Amino acid sequence: MIDIKQLNLSFDGVNDVLSGIDFHLGSGEFVAIAGPSGCGKTTLLNLCAGLVEVPEGQHISVASKAPMLGGHDVAYMLARDSLFPWLSAIDNAAFGLKVRGVPESEARVRAQTMLKRVGLAGYEDALPKALSHGMRQRVALARTFAMPSPLLLMDEPFGALDAQTKLQLQDLLLQLCQDSERSVLFVTHDLAEAVALADRVIIMSSRPGRVIADVAVPLSRPRSIRQLQTNDAFHQTYAAVWRHLEEGWVHHEG
Amino acid sequence: MKANLISTFTKHIAFVIVVIALWEWGARTGVIDQSFVGSPLGIASFTYTNLLNGRLRGDLGWTMLSVTLSFILGSAAAIGVGLVFVTWPKFEAFCDPYVSALNVLPRIAMVPLFILWFGLGIGSKIAMGFSLTFFIVLSSTVAGIRGISQDHVTLTKTLGATSRQLFFWVTLPGAVPVLFSGLRLGLIYAFLGVVGAEVIASERGLGQQLAYLASTFAIDGVWSLLLDLALVGVFLMKVMNWLERRLLHWQ
Repeated sequence: MIDIKQLNLSFDGVNDVLSGIDFHLGSGEFVAIAGPSGCGKTTLLNLCAGLVEVPEGQHISVASKAPMLGGHDVAYMLARDSLFPWLSAIDNAAFGLKVRGVPESEARVRAQTMLKRVGLAGYEDALPKALSHGMRQRVALARTFAMPSPLLLMDEPFGALDAQTKLQLQDLLLQLCQDSERSVLFVTHDLAEAVALADRVIIMSSRPGRVIADVAVPLSRPRSIRQLQTNDAFHQTYAAVWRHLEEGWVHHEG
Repeated sequence: MKANLISTFTKHIAFVIVVIALWEWGARTGVIDQSFVGSPLGIASFTYTNLLNGRLRGDLGWTMLSVTLSFILGSAAAIGVGLVFVTWPKFEAFCDPYVSALNVLPRIAMVPLFILWFGLGIGSKIAMGFSLTFFIVLSSTVAGIRGISQDHVTLTKTLGATSRQLFFWVTLPGAVPVLFSGLRLGLIYAFLGVVGAEVIASERGLGQQLAYLASTFAIDGVWSLLLDLALVGVFLMKVMNWLERRLLHWQ
C-alpha cells in the first residue's frame, strides 16, 4: 500500500526533517508510527496524503502511485475531530462521500449505517455542539470508514480524548478495521495505543526523523483492548518498544 | 425567574411614567422651557398628526429604501472585493494603503461631494450608506475567510474537493459568523450614514424632516422623529437577530 525508499526531506534545504526513511506498509496491514514530538511522524503522513510535496528524486508510492492530494484510495483522519459545526452528525458522516461524488441519498444511507456501527444511532440529526468529544470522534470515525478507501491515514485521532473514552474508541477502531480490512497508517505518541492497535510499530528518532526500529506485534486478531491489559505478549512488546525509544534518545543526546 | 422579569418590567414602566409625568408637569408649569425641550403631550400630538397625514410613512419609506439599497450594494461589493483580496493577497497588499486611507476618512465630510455627484435625491444617500457599509463588511469578509479552521480545509482537500466545493461547503459557511457580525454593524452604519446625509441636505427622508423641524424650533416634532429613528434602529437589530438565529443556529 505504501512504499518509501531512502526518503530525505528538508523544508529549508539546510535542516533535514526526515532522513533515510525506509518503510513499507502491506495491504490490510495496520502500522503505527511512534516517536518523540517533532520527529516528523505527521510530516510522513502528510507526504503519503499528498499534503506535502514529495521532493524531486525521492521515492514514495501510495497504492502503487505517487502520492496525490485528494486521491480516492486514501482517507485521512485528523487529530481533532474536525467536524463541521454547521452540519448534523449524519451530514458530517456523509461529507467525504458527497465530496467524492456519491449521490446525496446513497451517501446518507451509508453514513447512517456507519453512525449506527459506531454507536450513534438516534444521533443522526444532532449538531456537533450537542455531542461530547468522544461522540464527535465517533462521527469522525464514521466519516472516515464510510468512504471505501483501502488506505486510512490517521494522525493521533484519539490524542485529545480522556483515558476512558480513548480505550472505548480504540476498541471501536479495532472492530471497524477487522470488519473492513483496510490498511492503516496510524501516528501516535502513545506507545500502549500503538502496540494495542497495530501489527507493527515503527519507532522514529528525534529530528531529523529516522526509523530506528520496526517492531512486530505478536498479538492475534480479533483483539480486545480489555483483554490486552492481562496479555503478557502485549506488555513485553510495549517494553521492547519503550527500550527502542529510549535507545533513540540516548543516541540522539549522545 | 418569570416573577423577576415581571418585576423588572414593572419597574421600567413605572420609571418611564414618572419621567414623562414630571416632564409634562414641568413643561406646563414653566419649570422647564417648553420651546427647548418640548412636552410629552406635544410629542404625542405631533406623532399622531405625522402618522395620519402620511408624512411619516412617506419619509420612513424613503429612508428605509436608501438604507436597504446602500446596505445591499455595499455588502455585495465588499464581499466581492473581500474574496478578491483573499484569493490574491498581493493585490490586497497593494490596495491596503488606499483602503486604509479611505476607511479612516470621516465619511460624513464627503456628503457635500456625494451631493455634487449624485444630487439631493436618493443617490447621494445611497453613496453615503455604501461608503460606510463597504469597509466594515470588507474587513469582516477578509477576517472571516482567513479565520476558517485550517483542519476543515486540510480535511476537505484530502477528500479531493474541487475549489467550488471547498468554497461553498467549507469556506463560506465557516466565514459566516464573523461575516455576519460585520453585516450587523454594516446595517447600523448604513442607517446612520443615510440619516446623517439626509440631515445635511435632502429632498425627502426622516433626516430631512428632522433637520427642517429643528430649524423651525418644532421641538416636539424633533423628539417624535428621534423616537421614530430609535424604533427603526431597534427594528433593524431585531431583523438581524432573527436572521442570525436562522443562519447560525449551529453555534
